[in-house]
Amino acid sequence: MVLVYKMSTKSLWLLFIFIGSSYSETYSEELFIKPLATGYVYSFFQFTVIREDDSFKHSTLFPHSLGDIIDRFHVAELNVDLTSGLWKHKSWGYPAVDAPSGAEISARFHNDTQDIDKHWYGLTNALSGLLCTSLNFINSANSYESSADRVYRYSNLPRENVCTENLTPWKKLLPCDSTRGLSSLLNSGRVHNANYHSLGIHFRPLCNAGKCKYELRQTVSLVYDSIFISFNNNYDWSLRKMFGTGLFKTCPLADYSKIYLDTSSNSSVPYLISQEPDYVLKNNIAVYNLNGIFHLSAIVPRPKIVVSELRPLLYTDRFITGFGQEYGGLVTRIYNDHKSAIIATVIENIPWFLPIYYHTLKVTSNGIRVIPKALIYKPGKGRVRIYYLEIVLELAPRSVTEISVQFDYVFLKWQEYPPDANHGFYIGSAIVKATIPRNATSLTFDKSLIIDNLNSTGDDYLICLKTENFIITLPTPDFSMPYNVICLACTVVALAFGPIHNITTKRLKLTTAKYVPGLASVAQKLYVLMETIFMLKTKKTGKPTPVKVFTPEELSYHPTLGHVSEEFMKNKGN
Amino acid sequence: MEKLLVFVYSIGILIRIYLSFSDFSTSIADRVEVSTPLNSWKRVIEGVSLYNENLNPYDGDLFHETPLALVFFSNLTSTFSDFYVSLVFIMCDLMTAFVLYYTSKIYTENLLEKQTKRKHVYYKEFNKLLIPDDFSVINPFYVCSVYMLNPYTVFSCIARTTTVFNNLFLAICLYSMVKRHRLLGCLSLVLASLPTFYTFGLIAPLMLSCVPTDSKKKTGSFIFTFLICGAISCMLLYLCYTIMNDWAFLDSVYGFILNVRDLKPNIGLFWYFFTEMFEHFRALFVCAFQLNASVLYVIPLSIRLRRDPLLLATSLLTLTAVFKSYPSIGDVGFYLSLLPIHRHLFYFMQQAFIVSCFFVGCTVFAPTVWHLWIYSRSANANFYFGVTLAFATTQIFLITDLLFAYIKREFALKHGMKRMINGKEARLMLD
Repeated sequence: MVLVYKMSTKSLWLLFIFIGSSYSETYSEELFIKPLATGYVYSFFQFTVIREDDSFKHSTLFPHSLGDIIDRFHVAELNVDLTSGLWKHKSWGYPAVDAPSGAEISARFHNDTQDIDKHWYGLTNALSGLLCTSLNFINSANSYESSADRVYRYSNLPRENVCTENLTPWKKLLPCDSTRGLSSLLNSGRVHNANYHSLGIHFRPLCNAGKCKYELRQTVSLVYDSIFISFNNNYDWSLRKMFGTGLFKTCPLADYSKIYLDTSSNSSVPYLISQEPDYVLKNNIAVYNLNGIFHLSAIVPRPKIVVSELRPLLYTDRFITGFGQEYGGLVTRIYNDHKSAIIATVIENIPWFLPIYYHTLKVTSNGIRVIPKALIYKPGKGRVRIYYLEIVLELAPRSVTEISVQFDYVFLKWQEYPPDANHGFYIGSAIVKATIPRNATSLTFDKSLIIDNLNSTGDDYLICLKTENFIITLPTPDFSMPYNVICLACTVVALAFGPIHNITTKRLKLTTAKYVPGLASVAQKLYVLMETIFMLKTKKTGKPTPVKVFTPEELSYHPTLGHVSEEFMKNKGN
Repeated sequence: MEKLLVFVYSIGILIRIYLSFSDFSTSIADRVEVSTPLNSWKRVIEGVSLYNENLNPYDGDLFHETPLALVFFSNLTSTFSDFYVSLVFIMCDLMTAFVLYYTSKIYTENLLEKQTKRKHVYYKEFNKLLIPDDFSVINPFYVCSVYMLNPYTVFSCIARTTTVFNNLFLAICLYSMVKRHRLLGCLSLVLASLPTFYTFGLIAPLMLSCVPTDSKKKTGSFIFTFLICGAISCMLLYLCYTIMNDWAFLDSVYGFILNVRDLKPNIGLFWYFFTEMFEHFRALFVCAFQLNASVLYVIPLSIRLRRDPLLLATSLLTLTAVFKSYPSIGDVGFYLSLLPIHRHLFYFMQQAFIVSCFFVGCTVFAPTVWHLWIYSRSANANFYFGVTLAFATTQIFLITDLLFAYIKREFALKHGMKRMINGKEARLMLD
């Protein structure tokens, strides 16, 4: 297979024709463009490979490197998202794939897998190599297992910076790389210029009546500010303006190449599209089939008022309260704009350095305290385990539900702070899951292809919202002080040890010697020693005797003279 | 004197009640000097609420009391409302003051008794050193009023730290030392040292005070006291085990104390030392510091101070209050209120002025630099570290001064007050 990878795409295509029948794999590439309110344009790329074989040893379209990892670590389902920027649910509606800023990874392993943690760390390490991310920093202190599912693991790294080095290996996983087809639009220079960009890899089994297919979706979400990308300070946008290039060649391996344009905002801000669509779906989605050179642009008149779209039914807010670096509070707000109640599950995973007090957990709905329908709390442990809180709530119609909890700022060891300690620590997002009814703003992306999703007509659908990340600055020690601190603290210990050692091991004695402080006493002792040696040598007598230390027992007590030696009394008597 | 005592008592109660139900109580309870991870009421509540939810509080990182305390506080908070819980703390403080009063009274009376027995041995000149009879009235009053009015103990009580209960057990332990009541002493000692284990060193003065006059039975008595303490400890630990059904609490209580896992600043030396410690030296210094705080001084001091078990207890309590891993001002307040018991030594103390100035200075500076560091962010950790260093040094000066005063008095009683040799001026030195 290595040989196949080195071949040009054309010969690969030929090869595909020959062996295509033995490995039934289908590949499709789609681009969904949706102008958002306030002049932003959302483009969502999806490259889907579906295969029937459950062993990933041989594949033609499915990326071999990823297949190896999936096989080796018994992965049943995998989601990796690398995101930079914040998706604004309130004004942009829901994205196709909701991902928090930074890196997010979740995996479900096969049910019969033993030692899930080992596989999980193996998987994250392998993926970190594959995608050039810091997923290898995932350990027990920043991942959790689901309360209901033994084989499920989740983690996010909010500090992760997503950049070109992630996009390049990501593009290598595509059958046509970035030479042909929609993926040729993904220029790293342009992708990272976007207000929001998110790369995703989503692998899952699609099982129906015991027969399983395996689906790999590679997704890119990009949000451009049309004012920023158009040089004339207007709201016009085009493929070339957004991606810096047009579409020239389609990917010959793709069974399916389409571009969809959501024109539902046309009613509020009408705009002109350069090309007539091949057909129109559900009255507001223009569909273009790709075969050859393609260009799409829109001329948008400057709107007098920027009309916001219909608000999403459910959106969230998250922030910290309090001041100073001692005690703080964490508040998650969930807004339900729907006219009936919605059941939502909120999952908070709070790192161990933000210990939360369970007894301060307060859930209020429009200011009135409510009791959650279910609650799972797993207290964290320093440097080992996160604080996991899962709350199932019934959100009252048209209400704001607030979950607040208090925490302490933890003082870490000096080597546990990141290089720029005063920049702060990133705290990952909370997850809100809810089943909400379909309405005009909703786009569901639970099916394999975008076209199926656009066509689907189910009533309710599951959304999974990720809240904002935030940064918290923990109090820092002085990093330049370790030696000083060790010296000073040990000095204080010595201050106690010295005198107590003296008191307990020595006896009080009397001496006529003058008190000499510090080093001078050493000099004095030396001098006395020298003197004695000198005296011994010359054997001179009659010199004054050197300073003597008396134990009280040698002396007798005299009421006026104090302590007196026998010698002295004798001399006196004489 | 009785009237004065009642007056002091009622003032103490009024201050406590007023502050407990004012808005100051939460801000006092939030102070790092008052509440440490080991004794803070907030964490007790956290543990109790987890326990009531059938979650193991020792799974988490916040609760570090023993299971016995857990059950006790769980019952306390479920039976009493918040108001009465505060009253329970105040009541405990009153009882501590009361027990200390009687401890001091009995101790001073014993001293006086011993003195009259030995009076004929002393020189006339030593009259200055003799303990006057009124000490047996004044000393207990001082002890009681220091405990009742000392801001350290008052704050500790208002913040509802579990140190309040610890202090009560310690006071009972001291009381049974002077009463020579072995069983009560052992029981209270174990109860006091179960949550912190540092105070287990007090077993030495307890052993010394419980020896019979017959010197032949001395060793037997020592072993007996030790065995009783050991047996009670084992029983209580097993009781803890039956409450929780596993031994995980040992790591959460003692492992937490020994390994210094929480580096939140307090008035001790450990927090910054182990914040700034190089990781590969950590185990060494943890061992060194813990030995220094717990057992290092017990044997030498108990040999030196074997004739005065209460002074031995005071000095051991002081040293643990300085050197233990999570000290609070409740501990400081407790040993400070023991000092008036040893008022006969004050004559020989030299650094009282410096020490008291530093106590006041540190008490003022600590909250100030804390605010500058944590809230206005214009200072850094070194400022607070400086204050805690100064505070520790002050306390060390105080206790070494007291010990020096003891040996100087001992010397003076034996060998006279005059420091002269053969008519020439001389000085005392340790050699």
